[in-house]
Amino acid sequence: MIKKICLGLLLSCALLMGLSLTTPTVHAATDHSLTTVQKKGTLVMGTAPDYPPYEFETTIHGKTQVVGMDVAVGQKIAKDLGVKLVIKSMSFDSLLVALQTGKVDMVISGMNPTPARRKNVAFTHTYYQGGYSIVINKSDQGRYHDKDSFKGQNLGAQTGTTLYNESKRQTTNTTIKGMTTISNLVLALQSHKVAGVAMEKPSAKAYVANNKQLVMIPSHFNLSAADTSTAVAFKKGSTALVTAANQSVDQIKHQDLINKNYLPAAGQYLKTNTVNTSMWHYWKAFLTGVKYTLIITVCAVFFGFILGVLLALLRLGHGSLLQTAGRWLATAYVEFIRGTPMMVQVMFVYFGLGLIVNLPALTSGIIAIALNSGAYVAEYIRGGINSVDAGQTEAARSLGLSRTAALRYVILPQALQNIWPSLGNEFITLIKDSSIVSIIGVSELIYQSNIVRSDTYRGVAPIVVIMVLYFILTFTASRLLNHFEKKWQHA
Amino acid sequence: MTKPIIEVKNLAKEFDGNPVLKDITEQVNPGQVIVVIGPSGSGKSTFLRCLNLLETPTSGQVAFDGQDLTTLDTKRVNELREQMGMVFQGFNLFPNMSVLENIKLAPMKVKGVSDADATKRAHELLQQVNLDDHADAFPSSLSGGQKQRVAIARALAMDPKVMLFDEPTSALDPEMVGEVLNVMQDLATQGMTMVVVTHEMGFAKSVADRIWFMADGYIQENSTPDDFFAHPQTERAQDFLSKILM
Ligand SMILES: Nc1ncnc2c1ncn2[C@@H]1O[C@H](COP(=O)(O)OP(=O)(O)OP(=O)(O)O)[C@@H](O)[C@H]1O
Ligand SMILES: [Mg+2]
Repeated sequence: MIKKICLGLLLSCALLMGLSLTTPTVHAATDHSLTTVQKKGTLVMGTAPDYPPYEFETTIHGKTQVVGMDVAVGQKIAKDLGVKLVIKSMSFDSLLVALQTGKVDMVISGMNPTPARRKNVAFTHTYYQGGYSIVINKSDQGRYHDKDSFKGQNLGAQTGTTLYNESKRQTTNTTIKGMTTISNLVLALQSHKVAGVAMEKPSAKAYVANNKQLVMIPSHFNLSAADTSTAVAFKKGSTALVTAANQSVDQIKHQDLINKNYLPAAGQYLKTNTVNTSMWHYWKAFLTGVKYTLIITVCAVFFGFILGVLLALLRLGHGSLLQTAGRWLATAYVEFIRGTPMMVQVMFVYFGLGLIVNLPALTSGIIAIALNSGAYVAEYIRGGINSVDAGQTEAARSLGLSRTAALRYVILPQALQNIWPSLGNEFITLIKDSSIVSIIGVSELIYQSNIVRSDTYRGVAPIVVIMVLYFILTFTASRLLNHFEKKWQHA
Repeated sequence: MTKPIIEVKNLAKEFDGNPVLKDITEQVNPGQVIVVIGPSGSGKSTFLRCLNLLETPTSGQVAFDGQDLTTLDTKRVNELREQMGMVFQGFNLFPNMSVLENIKLAPMKVKGVSDADATKRAHELLQQVNLDDHADAFPSSLSGGQKQRVAIARALAMDPKVMLFDEPTSALDPEMVGEVLNVMQDLATQGMTMVVVTHEMGFAKSVADRIWFMADGYIQENSTPDDFFAHPQTERAQDFLSKILM
């Protein structure tokens, strides 16, 4: 599988540079990679489970699990090493960075060992030689034969992938439409936004097998072996581990395990899934999504609020040199956070801070969103404090209350009352914006809906479901907030 | 001779280089009622706020009970400030608290008085200002005169030695001025030391022990009400009186 190279590469390059700046480079003289894994007894595999039949999520006995041929490969490697396989899901873009920063020990995600990637990570021998096909609507059968029959038409491909770039290069007079996931592209195909979708052969097979409206045609793309084969990625320099894994990979190839065992097994899951694609069947997946969305939002709002109050107080401080410094810092922080995208902040906390402390994705997500929200809350609170009449402070001070006591008992309660609607909006915004942490693999609503989408091949239904769920969440939240606002505004 | 409770020496205050108070030296004895009058913008509020250090003097001293406030640290200033109650033109009641809570806040949070004791005292004070039936009301439901009486009760709850009033009746409808002045008069009768900025000349005449006439950053005259109203010494005072008594 050829996936988004650009973003992933950029990130990993940035991080590698950071690494070589912050840590003295330990040269390959001593390679503990194999012994380290054996000592801890687990092999952590990073994968992006939205690409059947390579890797995808399915519900087995009510539990969501990552399955697919890549998982089978991972299990084989772990078994041969005598350790337990642990699977970590995240977006494809994040995989290589996770490898560099030690969040995972290896990446198996249908990844092509391109020369560019080889610069940053170590690959095993290839375990599968794929190829490309184009999926079209059955009604168009006979009209399109390969990549060259789409003149004057739209052809879809996953953005950031080699295939996307090659589709552009190797077709003429054809508009290449890019989208981030294959399931979205198939949706576009079915609604005739594109005439065909270029994708990996096994994926094409899976889609066609599970959707009678679709058929596949050969692509006839001219591609090198490196662009169509898949291999396991390890951290650069872990030669011992790569050598050990190569033994497993070679066995897989010699015994043709992929075609004989792994793909049929994966297909089995796909079959059972398409039998029951009702959204009710996935209520547990959606519930998990709701749960994590709420956990993230509530925690982030709580810590963001505390941070916001502190920042607001710092920004209002004046007088001594220390207070001026504090005010300056808080202002800089607020400006910086408001001037950078939340998505980048989330990635920075997960991967950047990951260099120092290895935080789980959920914790990183909460921290990042709290840090972000704090900056906005700080501005609301500062505005709230300024909106309280100066006479209130004077009255409180004239009664002997200290500056702090006046703030705490007189000013802040009124400030909060004034900005309650803004804070409520912030909370509701966060319910929606928390979806950003799906990129680091936190199973909140968006992430779960993507899983369900790639699982069922039903594009619109999961979108409708999470739309309704988000609305229920935000509507309930705004009702509750209104209720408290009324209770509060007795005066 | 009794020791003065407030002693102001060479007090000056300027805002961004603009002098408002230039050189004021005066004193207040315990039990005295001082009424400060003067034209608008002459610095009366600023002067009052310098007495409890809500405003920091640019130079000079303000001594309370023999202690120069300008030399003390913030903590001591807070402690001494609670002995000087202040009542504002705009009431400045806390809108998010009931009348009772307004009064109880400072005794409980500053002095650590128990809830029960603070409540008991608050009711006594509300009776004193004739508002005990409004204990649970919120400020927004009160008339201006009621608000100002609550504000007085709130200041009294800290058992201050001195009460400062900054135009307590200026924001009131005429028919409510009387009820507030009555409460103030009662206070004076009970021996409370008071510094009152007001334009109510009737009150000044009948209640004040001394009139301080302030203009151009100075206390221009310090005399008894009888003297001041009958024989103002300075041209500024004559001018001022002729305008307001017309
Ligand atoms: N915080 C401040 N910053 C700058 N200038 C101020 C400040 N407070 C007061 N002043 C100025 O000081 C002067 C005196 O103001 P002050 O309020 O003490 O007068 P006043 O005698 O109380 O007037 P009024 O009768 O209108 O209440 C005014 O010119 C005013 O603009
Ligand atoms: Mg004034």
